[in-house]
Amino acid sequence: MENKIKEFKNLEKWQGTLASCIRCGYCFEHCPMFKHTGWESDAPRAKIITAFGLITGEVEPSESAADKMFSCFYCKRCEAACSSGVPLTEIFTDARKDLVEMGLEGPGTTSITKLNCARCLICVGACPHEARNYDGKGIATDPAKCQACGICLEVCPAGAAKIENNFGTGRDELIEKASNFLNTHESSKAIIFACNWSYFPELQASVLPDSETRDNNYEILVNMCGGRLEPYLLMAPFLHNAWGVMAAVCPDDDCQHNGNLRAKKIVETLRNTFKSIDIDPERIQLVQIPAGDKSLFQAEIDTFVDKLNNMGPIR
Amino acid sequence: MKPIDVTRLKEIVGERNVKTDPSDLYVYGSDSSVHHAMPWAIVKPETTQQVQEIMKYANGNGIPVIARGGGSGMCGQTVPIQGGIMLDMKAMNKILEINLKDVYCRVEPGVVDDDLNLALKQYGVFYPPTPASSRIATIGGEIANNASGVRSVKYGATRDAVLGMKVVLPNGDLVTLGSHTRVEASGYQLHKLIVGSEGTLGIVVEATLSFVPIPEFRCMGVANFDALKDAGEAIGSIMASGSIPSMLELVDSVAIKAVNKTMDLGLKEVAAALIFEADGMVKEAVDYEIDKMKKICEKHNGKDIHASYDPKERAKIFMGRKKLFPALSKYDDNLASTSLADDMAVPYSKMAELAGKVHEVADRHNIVMTAYGHCGSGCMHTKILMDTKRKDQWDAAKKAITEIYEYVRSVNGTTSAEHGIGLSKAESFKVEKADSLNLLAGIKKAFDPNNILNPGKLSQAPEDWVTATNLRYSVNS
Ligand SMILES: Cc1cc2nc3c(=O)[nH]c(=O)nc-3n(C[C@H](O)[C@H](O)[C@H](O)COP(=O)(O)OP(=O)(O)OC[C@H]3O[C@@H](n4cnc5c(N)ncnc54)[C@H](O)[C@@H]3O)c2cc1C
Repeated sequence: MENKIKEFKNLEKWQGTLASCIRCGYCFEHCPMFKHTGWESDAPRAKIITAFGLITGEVEPSESAADKMFSCFYCKRCEAACSSGVPLTEIFTDARKDLVEMGLEGPGTTSITKLNCARCLICVGACPHEARNYDGKGIATDPAKCQACGICLEVCPAGAAKIENNFGTGRDELIEKASNFLNTHESSKAIIFACNWSYFPELQASVLPDSETRDNNYEILVNMCGGRLEPYLLMAPFLHNAWGVMAAVCPDDDCQHNGNLRAKKIVETLRNTFKSIDIDPERIQLVQIPAGDKSLFQAEIDTFVDKLNNMGPIR
Repeated sequence: MKPIDVTRLKEIVGERNVKTDPSDLYVYGSDSSVHHAMPWAIVKPETTQQVQEIMKYANGNGIPVIARGGGSGMCGQTVPIQGGIMLDMKAMNKILEINLKDVYCRVEPGVVDDDLNLALKQYGVFYPPTPASSRIATIGGEIANNASGVRSVKYGATRDAVLGMKVVLPNGDLVTLGSHTRVEASGYQLHKLIVGSEGTLGIVVEATLSFVPIPEFRCMGVANFDALKDAGEAIGSIMASGSIPSMLELVDSVAIKAVNKTMDLGLKEVAAALIFEADGMVKEAVDYEIDKMKKICEKHNGKDIHASYDPKERAKIFMGRKKLFPALSKYDDNLASTSLADDMAVPYSKMAELAGKVHEVADRHNIVMTAYGHCGSGCMHTKILMDTKRKDQWDAAKKAITEIYEYVRSVNGTTSAEHGIGLSKAESFKVEKADSLNLLAGIKKAFDPNNILNPGKLSQAPEDWVTATNLRYSVNS
């Protein structure tokens, strides 16, 4: 394989690093996108391979190649797990910068703004990554900066901020998953929404026999950043007879999007609402889990389910 | 490239389970090896029937089919050097049955090894062949590579744990091989032949695997050595003493430096270390084994020997070992860890000499190599750390590999202990098996007369992989 073209000004510097990725694929298990689609081409390793192909000219800078590079929630779990020390998301960002220059920008997971935007500019101020700007006509997102944390979606009063490709982590998809679980498991009691950091994925891709899961009383759903938890989403499971809902987010100073602090506020408000309508506020809870602390997370879930068992269903 | 009927493929598996965009094909053209080649389509079957239909279509049209699990093979087993359909088996991922009474489980081939062990754990049992790559490796890929791992020294490799399987043949027929019993003497036991066949004989669509109880006690120790030779000799002595370690791993100075750099394991930066473990249901029995291994290490000049039952300490070292190959890329910022001459096996008494040989050959050719591996089962791994842009480094690597495998064969060792042959190791494999190549070709023909299953691998692979296959690196001329 010979060096071909070199028009990737930002990406080019990573050529050596891209060679040192041994392509072991240990990053698969950490990626919610791979786990949602099951396609290797959505896994972090695939993006590294694509970046390499773009530099060498073996991959055309096409819309579909670009879409891969613009699809990432920047949870950075792949990066933290990579023993070869490959700074994956920095590489993705540099690839994005070059692709934008070539007129390619996704859609990927970049948040967009729909026509019903009222130009209130709340999202511009709320975006922790300075990716949203008012350009005199409307709100534009810089696709090289957007990290798809979804905070703009949560703050937008008009529902105009949108992420089109959610890879199973969007509000509607999560509600569907939650209701599906609650409606098909007689023993079901709780839905646990977890950010990709607070939850260490157990089974990464395999499916257990029905006999093993039939009696499950809770389901963990990964919603990416806690900043995306909307009141509507947190309340939805109760419409399907959930006894309780828990949200797991990072500890105070650990969230790169500060989404945990937003989630805290929202849960607090909902608890107050519960109180005012005489429902035990303990039925909705927020826990903060340091990255990958499986045992703490499991202990919190067990305590929560025990509490719910004592309370019984909502009457 | 032959014309491929994408519409037909979509009819079989559904629109959403076929990909033909060049950017997807490019990604699926790689695995953990040094090779790269483009498939013509990626197809993800969800049922056995779909696999059968795909095979019928491919066989009728002479289109190569390459089964793919996690794509973590190190020798290019899934790299489609003759193009064709990449059959991504990851959607056939159901654990079908855990049968505690008859001590077996049945799984689809796309089940990830660690997932299976997680499901088994709650019953106090585990599936032991587990390679270091168990977070990504699928049961199908492990069967096709006859994978083994740190615990194989006591519990055996994949071949020892596979009781039976269902396999789709190239003509689309579904056959049931083996049984659900521990022993079988009914003829050729073709299921054992499928193990290690690297996707060249049939597509595994279901496997029946045995499991064993999780021991009550596990104790892990580390012994440091100032000379690689001493560590190598200690391995031979431990195994010859009748000891039954549940793990006996060698790591040399290069490997120690790399894992320390990545994971801060605090291993002493010595010439070599042995990581040993004993397990069992009775603590006294575990103590006995550990004591015995400690003493043998001492006799071979082992220092700072220490062992612990503490699960946290054991888990840390275990994880360091699991991540060793990727960590090697951090040994030096200018060198990448390449999977070349990645594994081999020699008789125990030759372990020390082999480890020494690896370093001597590397020095002579001016490259960095490391020697580590599941040495308790005779398995040694090496990796070549080099500047992959430099053609002279590839030339040197090639010479080094040839010399190392010449040595391995000269002491009645074998080209692959567990990672398989694929493309990168075919040269040595063909020399090693020279007098049985005709038999191998006959077996291949009996299963796959049109040569559509993973063609160009094992004994069909080109001799000179550097020039005959595409490397996945940019090499300056
Ligand atoms: C970091 C790292 C560490 C590793 N450590 C070990 C180790 O300790 N021990 C070890 O043995 N290996 C190890 N390997 C090599 C490799 O991971 C294993 O051999 C593993 O079994 C491959 O599984 P896979 O699902 O990724 O298979 P793939 O790489 O996808 O495929 C491997 C072979 O299996 C065939 N195949 C896949 N599925 C099927 C099927 N359903 N039917 C028929 N053929 C099929 C493919 O065609 C191919 O020939 C390691 C690899 C890496 C990257």
